[in-house]
Amino acid sequence: MMNRIILVVAVLIAILLSSSLYTVKETQVALKLRLGEIVSIENEPGLKFKTPFVNNVVRFDKRIQTLDSAAESFLTVEKKNVVVDSFVKWRIVDTQKFYISTGGVMAQANLRLAQNNQDALRSEFSKRTIIEVISDEREAIMASVKGKLKEIAEDEYGIEVVDVRIKRIELSQEVRNSVYSRMETERKGLANRYRANGAEEAEKLQAFADKERTIILANAYRDSEKIRGEGDAISASNYAEAYSQDVDFYSFYRSLESYKKSFNEQGDILVLNPDSEFFRHFNPTD
Amino acid sequence: MAWNDENNKNPWGGNNQTPPELEEVIKDFKNKFNSRFGGGSSGSGKGGVSKAAKGSLKYFVILAVLLWLLSGIYIVDPAEKGVVLRFGAYQNTTDQGPHWRIPYPIDSVYKVNVEQIRATEIGFRNIQNSSYGGAVSSESLMLTKDENMVDVKLAVQYKIADAQAYLFNVFNPELTLSHVVQSVIRQVVGDNTMDHVLTTGREQVAQEVKSASQGLLNEYNTGLIITAVTMQDAQPPIQVKASFDDVVKAREDEQRYINEAKAYANDIVPKARGASQRLIAEAEAYKSQVVSKSEGEAYRFNQILAEYLKAPVVTKERLYRETLEEVLGSTSKVIVDSNSNSLMYLPIDQLINSSRSSSSSSGSKTFQDNPTSQSNDGSVLRSRENR
Repeated sequence: MMNRIILVVAVLIAILLSSSLYTVKETQVALKLRLGEIVSIENEPGLKFKTPFVNNVVRFDKRIQTLDSAAESFLTVEKKNVVVDSFVKWRIVDTQKFYISTGGVMAQANLRLAQNNQDALRSEFSKRTIIEVISDEREAIMASVKGKLKEIAEDEYGIEVVDVRIKRIELSQEVRNSVYSRMETERKGLANRYRANGAEEAEKLQAFADKERTIILANAYRDSEKIRGEGDAISASNYAEAYSQDVDFYSFYRSLESYKKSFNEQGDILVLNPDSEFFRHFNPTD
Repeated sequence: MAWNDENNKNPWGGNNQTPPELEEVIKDFKNKFNSRFGGGSSGSGKGGVSKAAKGSLKYFVILAVLLWLLSGIYIVDPAEKGVVLRFGAYQNTTDQGPHWRIPYPIDSVYKVNVEQIRATEIGFRNIQNSSYGGAVSSESLMLTKDENMVDVKLAVQYKIADAQAYLFNVFNPELTLSHVVQSVIRQVVGDNTMDHVLTTGREQVAQEVKSASQGLLNEYNTGLIITAVTMQDAQPPIQVKASFDDVVKAREDEQRYINEAKAYANDIVPKARGASQRLIAEAEAYKSQVVSKSEGEAYRFNQILAEYLKAPVVTKERLYRETLEEVLGSTSKVIVDSNSNSLMYLPIDQLINSSRSSSSSSGSKTFQDNPTSQSNDGSVLRSRENR
């Protein structure tokens, strides 16, 4: 019987121990409560003790959490709609405050942070133009929202906001369509410019070539006429020198040459009068 | 005897001291057991069974303890780090090889592969990694500085550099990486113009994304290190792709126009030069021709003139006769008697046609021989074709 009692006691001790020991993991922080009242905050991981049945323990994830809120539509200063997708990185730093303000529910914390994030973003976007939002001041917006959120979260929820970042800035569908058509017209302009440049250059080259050709041919014509003229001059002077010795004989001689050249074919028909000089002896009655 | 068998079979029971100790313990236990329950035993046969059962229970407990201790052995692969926790608190990190820890529930170990290169994709999903592949335009479409949209697809390669940080600092580090890269790529693209992102700046954009993302990951202390960021694709959105393609075509057209014009120029200018050479050459030929011809004719005239001057009348008469003979000898002739007053029909058209068809000569000349020296009173003649 003694043995059984020992066994029972041992079991009891084991139960007691197991309910008075608890662990806090490396990724966790824990609150020890005594009947709902916070007794201590366990920031260090490891094996801990508590009073069974009196104390209970709530654990929280102390790693950096991500709030990836749904994309929200904001108006810029020029009243254009942009859709903004952002995320917030946060972690619990003041466990007690976190527990009290959110009831220890992560989703609750995310919800509140999301609201604050949207508010801060909205006010930042409403001060800026689209181009500023997209490019120049994106960093500034993120820093400003982070600053605002950090203050609120730390004071109210015991949360440290590690970072706020804008993931996406999208134009709304109708603005996007107008962007597309603008891009299209820009490209069309560019394409036309390329083609026109090509045509210009081609026209220039062709015209230049045509000019070259005309000049070359004209120069050649000039030179050839000069040469021909020289030839004509020399030949004229040769003729003049020879023929001016006896002009009458030249005209007689030249006429005979012409006759020979002009009438030298069967097809040529001469209609002759028998009274002509050639037929003087042909017609003796005369 | 069962326990004895078990002892021999036990592969871990290599400790020489254990069997005697165990035996003593068991003997002791048996003795105690016998003395305590021996008197009150219900039957001798039953008592024997009970003794054996008690002995094996004792041994079973010891065996269980041994097994429990052995379950603390773990092996870390060369590519891995083992992170050991004691009651959830970080204890130490072990390298490759076999190790021992205090078994569950006191110690636990996470093995993390720190060499494996992992990859994540922004703007598309690799078919291998995901049930649905293809583009994810909500991730890939982004605005540039000049308010244009581009479609950018990134592949990010990373590995776990610090196993402890990876495990304990951030909830879901991979998702964090994806968020960070998405945020950074949009920021970088938003700081650059579309042309830069699409053409020359690709490499630079990828580098900026890598360094800025790594900065944020370090800030969050994720324990991840980005090894490479590559821009898989950077294109204009599909809606305007046609017009972008047209620009490329236009650029080629431009070159083509210029090339065609150059070809034209290369064609006509040399031809013109050739033609000019021909003109000059022809002119020179003409010059030589006329000069030679004039020289020859002048010489000939001079020769004949010299003879003519010696005997003018005879020479003139001779030349005239010879010429007429030659001319009349080779042509068709119609002799008209001017004294006859009868009306004569002279069908010159037919004469020409017939002479042309017979001789098929190139050109026929009709000549009315009507020299002023001859009598040219209106003559009505009858014709005679001479053939």
